[in-house]
Amino acid sequence: MSQKIEDLSALVDGEHSDQPLSSSRVLDAVKDDTQLQQKWKSYHLIRDGLRQELPANINFDIADKVAQALESEPAILAPKRTWRDLPLVAQVIPFTKQGGQMAIAASVAVAMIIGVQQLNQPDVNQPFNAAPPIRGIQGGLSPVSFDQTRAVPNSDGVEQRRRINTFLIDHKQQLRFKTTQLIDDETSQLQPNIENEEAQSDLVENTPQ
Amino acid sequence: MLKTLLNKIFGRVIWALPLIIALPLQSFAQSEQTSNEPTSNTFPSDSAQAWMAKMSHAVKSLNYSISFVLLKPGVDAQPYLWRHGVNEEGLEMEQLNLLNGPGREVVRIGNKVSYFEPNVPPYSLQSSIINGPFPSELFLRPEKLLLGYEFIMVGRSRISGRAAQQIRIVSKDKSRFGLNVWLDQETGLLLKMNMVGQESQLLEQIQVTGLQVTQEPDPFFAKIEPGMLPDVVNFSPSSAISSPWTINYLPKGMTIVNRDLRRLSGSGEVVEYIMLSDGLVDISVYMQNSSSNKQQGNLVGTVQTDTLLTIQHGELNVTVIGKLPAATANAIAKSIQRTN
Repeated sequence: MSQKIEDLSALVDGEHSDQPLSSSRVLDAVKDDTQLQQKWKSYHLIRDGLRQELPANINFDIADKVAQALESEPAILAPKRTWRDLPLVAQVIPFTKQGGQMAIAASVAVAMIIGVQQLNQPDVNQPFNAAPPIRGIQGGLSPVSFDQTRAVPNSDGVEQRRRINTFLIDHKQQLRFKTTQLIDDETSQLQPNIENEEAQSDLVENTPQ
Repeated sequence: MLKTLLNKIFGRVIWALPLIIALPLQSFAQSEQTSNEPTSNTFPSDSAQAWMAKMSHAVKSLNYSISFVLLKPGVDAQPYLWRHGVNEEGLEMEQLNLLNGPGREVVRIGNKVSYFEPNVPPYSLQSSIINGPFPSELFLRPEKLLLGYEFIMVGRSRISGRAAQQIRIVSKDKSRFGLNVWLDQETGLLLKMNMVGQESQLLEQIQVTGLQVTQEPDPFFAKIEPGMLPDVVNFSPSSAISSPWTINYLPKGMTIVNRDLRRLSGSGEVVEYIMLSDGLVDISVYMQNSSSNKQQGNLVGTVQTDTLLTIQHGELNVTVIGKLPAATANAIAKSIQRTN
C-alpha cells in the first residue's frame, strides 16, 4: 500500500516517469481503491498549494453538494407502466439498479434542463436597470479610457484626461531614461540615475506622444 | 426505456471520468521523459534559484539570437529581435530591434547603451541594461528579486519546440503581479514569460519564436563601429531635495531609487517625483499640492499593463503609475504623510 501511495505521490509531482507502463499501473490502482482516490484528491490539493496555484474560492465537494441537494428534493413519482412486464424490458431494468450514481447522473441532467428552462424565462414583472451596476476598482485589464472609468463632470473631463496623459508620458520617459549600473557581483548596487529636466529638455521636444 | 439508456450512458461517463482526466496526464508524463532525458542529468534541476542563476549566467555569457513577440492587451503584437554576443576581449554586445513599423533599435556595447528611435535624435546612456520590453534586471540579477519575490519550481513543458522548465515568481506579500517564466532546459535562456494578475489573468506575454545559440557572436556585431555611436547624455546628479513628505508603506522588496522635483513636460506643472523599484517593476509616484491646483477627482484605471491611480490625499494630489495592482497603488498613495 505504501508503495502505491508513493507511486501516486510521484505521479502527481510529475516525477513518475521511470517506465511508461508504471504510470498506467498507478492509475489502474487508483481506479479501484477509494483510499487512493482520497489521496489523489489531497495530493493535487497539496501540490497546488505548494505552487501557490490555488484559486481564490475552492469548491471541494461540488459533487457531494449536488447529491445532497438531490436527496432533499421531493421524489418524482413515475406513473405506473405496463410495459415493465415485457420480458426484454425486465432484462434491461437491472442495469439501472447497478449503481446509485447512474440515477443521480440522470436526474442531474433532468435538473439542469429544468434549471435552464427556468432561467430562460423572461421576468418582466420586476423593474430593472438598463445600466450595469457601478463596480469598484477593477483588477482586469481591458483597456480603459479614462473618461469612462468614473463619472466626472464634463467640463473637467478634458482637463483631467490631459493631466493623466501628462503623467503617463512622463512615466514612460522616466523608464526610458532610467540607467542601471551593474558593477561586479561583490559590490553590486543599484544606481539609477534619471536625468533632470534641463538635460532632457531637447529630447522631450521631439518625443512622439 | 429512455431513462434506462440515459442511465447507461451517464453511468459509463462517470466511470470513465478518472480515465479521461488521467489520460492526458499520462501521455504528458511520457513525452516529458523522452525529451528531457539527455539534459536532465547535466544541470541542477531541483531549485528554482539555481535555474535563475543559470539563466542569468546564460544571458550574460552566451552568443545568442532570439526572436520574440511581445503581446499586450489592446495592442498589436510587437515582434522583436534580440541578439547578444561576447567578443574575444570579453566585451558584451547586445542588440534589440523592434521589427514592425519605423522600428526602434537599441545597441549596447559594454556599459554604453545607444537608442535609435524615430523622431528622436539618437542618444546614448551610461547603463548596463537596455530599457526594453522585458525586465532586464530580472535576467541579469535575479537575486535582487529575492527580497520581495518567491521563486517556485513548477514543472516542465514544451515551449517553442524545446524542453522548458517553468518557474513562477510571486510577490511574497501578494502586493504585485506575478510572473511565469519558462526557461530553456538546455541553455537556460528565456522561452516564454507571462505576467499574471492576482486572479491569474494574463496581463502581458513574451513568447520566443526562435532561439539560436552560436559559437561565435553574430556577424552583425562586427559591423558596429563604437566610435560612430551617439554620445552619452550626461546627467547632472540630482541634488537631494528636502521634502516634508514620506511614503510609509512600500511593498516588500521595493525601494526608492530616485527622488526629485520635476516640471512635467506636458503641462509645465512642478511635481515631486519618486521612483520605486523592486528589480522587476518600476513605479512612478507624483505628488502635487492640491491647494495650488483645482480640485481633482479620484480616478483609477488601466492603460495597457500600467495601472494609473490618482487620488486626493489630504492636501496632496497623489498619482501612482506602474505595473502593479490598483489596491497596492492605493495603499502606497494613502500612506504618504507629512514628517515633522
